[in-house]
Amino acid sequence: MSSLLIENGHVVDPKNKRDEILDILVVDGVIKQVAKDISESADTTIDASGLTVTPGLIDLQVHFREPGREDRETIETGSRAALKGGVTTAVAMPNSTPAADNQSVIEFVLKRAREVGLINILPAGATTRGQGGEMLSEMWELKQSGAVALTDDGFDVQDPGLLRRAMEYAKTHDMLVMSHCETDALTDGGVMHEGWVSTQLGLPGTPDVSEDLAVAKNIMLAQKTGARLHLLHNSTRGAVDAITAAKAAGSKNITAEVSVQHFALTDEECVGYNTDAKMYPPLRSQEHLDAIITAIKEGTIEALTTDHAPHIEPDKLLPFEYAAMGSVGLETSFAVMYTYLVKSGHISLADGIALMTHKPAGIIRSDRGTLSEGAPADISLFDTTEEWTVDPTTFESKGKNCVFNGKQLTGKAKYVMVGGQIKMKDGDILL
Amino acid sequence: MSEAIETQLQKIRAKRDLSCFDIYSIDQLTTTDLSLIFTVAAGFRDAKTAKLTLGKGNTQINCFFEPSTRTQASFDLSAKHLGMDTTNVGGSSSAKKGESFIDTAETLDAYNAKTIVVRSSEAGVAEVIARHVNASVLNAGDGWHEHPTQGLLDALTMLDHFKSETLEGRIVTIVGDITHSRVFGSLVRVLTKLNATVRVAAPATLLPEAVEQFGIVVFHDIKAALDGADVVYALRVQEERGAKGFIPTLREYAKTFGISERRLELAKPDAILMHPGPVIRDIDVHSALVSRHPQSRILQQVENGMAIRKALLWLLVDRVDGASKEFSRM
Repeated sequence: MSSLLIENGHVVDPKNKRDEILDILVVDGVIKQVAKDISESADTTIDASGLTVTPGLIDLQVHFREPGREDRETIETGSRAALKGGVTTAVAMPNSTPAADNQSVIEFVLKRAREVGLINILPAGATTRGQGGEMLSEMWELKQSGAVALTDDGFDVQDPGLLRRAMEYAKTHDMLVMSHCETDALTDGGVMHEGWVSTQLGLPGTPDVSEDLAVAKNIMLAQKTGARLHLLHNSTRGAVDAITAAKAAGSKNITAEVSVQHFALTDEECVGYNTDAKMYPPLRSQEHLDAIITAIKEGTIEALTTDHAPHIEPDKLLPFEYAAMGSVGLETSFAVMYTYLVKSGHISLADGIALMTHKPAGIIRSDRGTLSEGAPADISLFDTTEEWTVDPTTFESKGKNCVFNGKQLTGKAKYVMVGGQIKMKDGDILL
Repeated sequence: MSEAIETQLQKIRAKRDLSCFDIYSIDQLTTTDLSLIFTVAAGFRDAKTAKLTLGKGNTQINCFFEPSTRTQASFDLSAKHLGMDTTNVGGSSSAKKGESFIDTAETLDAYNAKTIVVRSSEAGVAEVIARHVNASVLNAGDGWHEHPTQGLLDALTMLDHFKSETLEGRIVTIVGDITHSRVFGSLVRVLTKLNATVRVAAPATLLPEAVEQFGIVVFHDIKAALDGADVVYALRVQEERGAKGFIPTLREYAKTFGISERRLELAKPDAILMHPGPVIRDIDVHSALVSRHPQSRILQQVENGMAIRKALLWLLVDRVDGASKEFSRM
């Protein structure tokens, strides 16, 4: 029997409506007791005075690149990056090489995650074979092998007929479909948000309607089929308006997320042809950013994610038009949420934590993301007063491509426990 | 002979320097810079092809990742007239081997080149290279973004015609494919700096988002756009735009937006017609208007191009204040 006591921390556990100074006792990897002044002694005691104690963060969208592109990231380096940011559970997107469209890849990811033994990695399987958008993948088998959701992610299923079948078939096996909403014919080679900034830079733009139309298509098909649909990284006013309307109409099978960069930064980051600011969907204009923040405040959004997308340097040292898309985010997501949503007064810390813990857990039907007695002891401790400047050279991730490079953020993970074991302390990963 | 010319040019320059060390966007130039460039360029135009020594001992590399005929020849001859040594590299060889354009540029910079002229199919290449090299970078066209020397030579051509130092009160109507035009990108910036009233006329498919935020007026009716114009500036419309659905056919484009003699008559009687070349005769501009028409300034534009480039090169390679680019190789 091993035990751990976290004393005097400010516990923020939105699921259980806790938001006060409490102690937490962990025994054998499970939360035993959450109360004031626990007197029991433990093998290890952490003084959490001045720190915020939350359920370990859950990120529904990361790219760990393994198998296939271990030069960009591995399950180990991705896990280390997660721990540094206070993230204890991550859903790994299926765009590995080969794609996770079959049980072998899902089982490989789960096996590597077990061997590495740092965080909980939940793989998503591909909706279509090879993410090719032409034939359905073997969804039942993906589910049996451990996939928590289906998505073609960056390769959104374009054919509405096939997407309908995919949703119907996913529903048959009670699988969640996650959609990256993009209308390829409208994106048409766009490399950043289409607007005044793209016009000044002379770069091909991706119009907002490319996303809006695909969101509308996905919502209509989810309403028609009754499949569980999760809309990935929404970035436009039109997208969140459509989601708000669908929810108002009673569609309980639809959930939506926002990636933290989309409420923090605008397309102005691309000025100077900064390829770290190139991502998919693109950073939008202020008007869209404002709509996204409003949607978060009004409860339209259930999850905040990173879309953690590590790349090697040569893939970003290209003309903007050809540079790889995406930014790493696991080591900054809490701080970005805290800095741009909580500190700036848009939402409470508890609401922010909810969007990074039990709410995303609910989408993938996980029992994690809470500090309930009896729950697995995935716990993160943050210092919400620490101000720091983002320096990607210090990242655990292999990807140094971070759109927050050089930005001042507030909030840093100090301790992270997974299953009751301390895995990160003061920035050091403990194996 | 050339000594007298150089003395005259030094007098015109009057020990003035530019406020920047690279020219990748018109945005970098102040109105004082513009006035200096135009004055010195006029001096070089008078000097024609005289072999000068103002740039002697300096090396220029013309780095054309995208092939070019007129711009490359113009930059190369300009440097040679100033007594500079030049060499031409196409980017494709190293790019094909997988080299990053930044590494290519740093290599060229290590030859201690004083100026690197960059042309690329993609936007931003010259600007990014400027951050990585000691040499002064001149943008010879980057994707759909800018072509600063073209914008400057166009402005000089207009100022000459109006015998003025600004374009205040002048209406410039730009017609054609605005979205895909680097020429437009620089032209609109320089014209607004010179206080011109800028109109653009094009089908909505060839206009980029929010283009009016440059401080210009958009027309879909060519007649209204040309009415009372002082300058009619036609841009090339490429045939491949048809295939991609921007316009149905070049035939219909010529009928709706092509500049014919009748349409040119809608502009002011003394209006001038300009085009950056290459002209697609009878599509952008009616054949009779191209080079020999009294209102056409197309060949003057080309001549002014040499003068503008010589002025910029001299101002960049021979700074009176001795200041150098703030740059540190990391």
